[in-house]
Amino acid sequence: MSDNNNTKTQYKAGAKSGVPIIFGFIPIGIAYAIMARHAGFSAPETVFMSIAVFAGASQMMAVGMYAHGAGIAAMILTTFILNLRHLIMSTCIMNKMRSEKTSAKLLAAFGVTDESFAVFTTAKQENCTMPYFMGLISVTYLSWVAGSAIGAFTSDFLPPLLTASLGIALYAMFIALIIPDLKRSSRLGLLVVFTAAVNTVLNQFMASSWSLIVSTLICAAIGVFFVDSDKKEDSANEC
Amino acid sequence: MNAEIIFLIVGMAAVTYIPRAIPAVLIDKMKFGSQIEKFLKLIPYTAMSALIFPGVFTVDSNRPWIGITGGFAAGFLAWKKAPLIVCVLAAIAVDFVLYLIFPL
Repeated sequence: MSDNNNTKTQYKAGAKSGVPIIFGFIPIGIAYAIMARHAGFSAPETVFMSIAVFAGASQMMAVGMYAHGAGIAAMILTTFILNLRHLIMSTCIMNKMRSEKTSAKLLAAFGVTDESFAVFTTAKQENCTMPYFMGLISVTYLSWVAGSAIGAFTSDFLPPLLTASLGIALYAMFIALIIPDLKRSSRLGLLVVFTAAVNTVLNQFMASSWSLIVSTLICAAIGVFFVDSDKKEDSANEC
Repeated sequence: MNAEIIFLIVGMAAVTYIPRAIPAVLIDKMKFGSQIEKFLKLIPYTAMSALIFPGVFTVDSNRPWIGITGGFAAGFLAWKKAPLIVCVLAAIAVDFVLYLIFPL
């Protein structure tokens, strides 16, 4: 994207694609911040963690462990394990932006989350660009930090009824992101159902962070032999 | 800010950023065959499936049908080609109504 105008258009399109994530990130950010404040973090510390780490599940886990008097090393190790899945997600994202500068990729890497991965890897081919991804992660990052700041400084102002209802937002987004492609390939649909079953079973036997990694990799490997190769044709407009 | 907490946050930031950044550096040095490319193309679907299940059953820890109904609403609208934001807002609205009828 050398054309300046095009860069702007892509950035805006990416930012727009991040809007559904706001509905998930603001309430989760508030919930995290309230947990952190209860655990004994000051308001600036609570927000600083969101600015520096930008990984919701591990931040909640860490402040929860802190409240129970866990050691620093244990909290950092748990964070590492919880976020190891981003290695896989980042590989998929970077593979779509190979031609970009390494410095730009290193900046983009900071914004790799389950949600930016989900939106970017299902975006149209023409949107597999660095400015699009930057637009997307600008929105996700700002809403995460804003949610944390709201929770840290003002405590909970959202009514519990609304907070509870917003709990479905990110699941709804993941579901709506994959459905259009499942319509096009019934074998891909079967693979998704199979993965759901595998992960649900594995969750009984191992920590959910490991279960997610194991079922994602194993089921995708099985899918290589199971899902028709013309799947590529089916989703020719995908990245 | 407390020094111990700063140390914790910096440590967490480092171990979170490293797995995100490794592919950014290494992707140029890696060439994937068609099998691996296909594998990488399937990962979004398996990863999202694993992100949805079984988590969606625990949106309300005691009442799995709250998450199931909201998720179904999103899936149905996506099937009918509704825009993503409509699917998400509809799922929120459905669960909001469910919580009105069956309070927390």
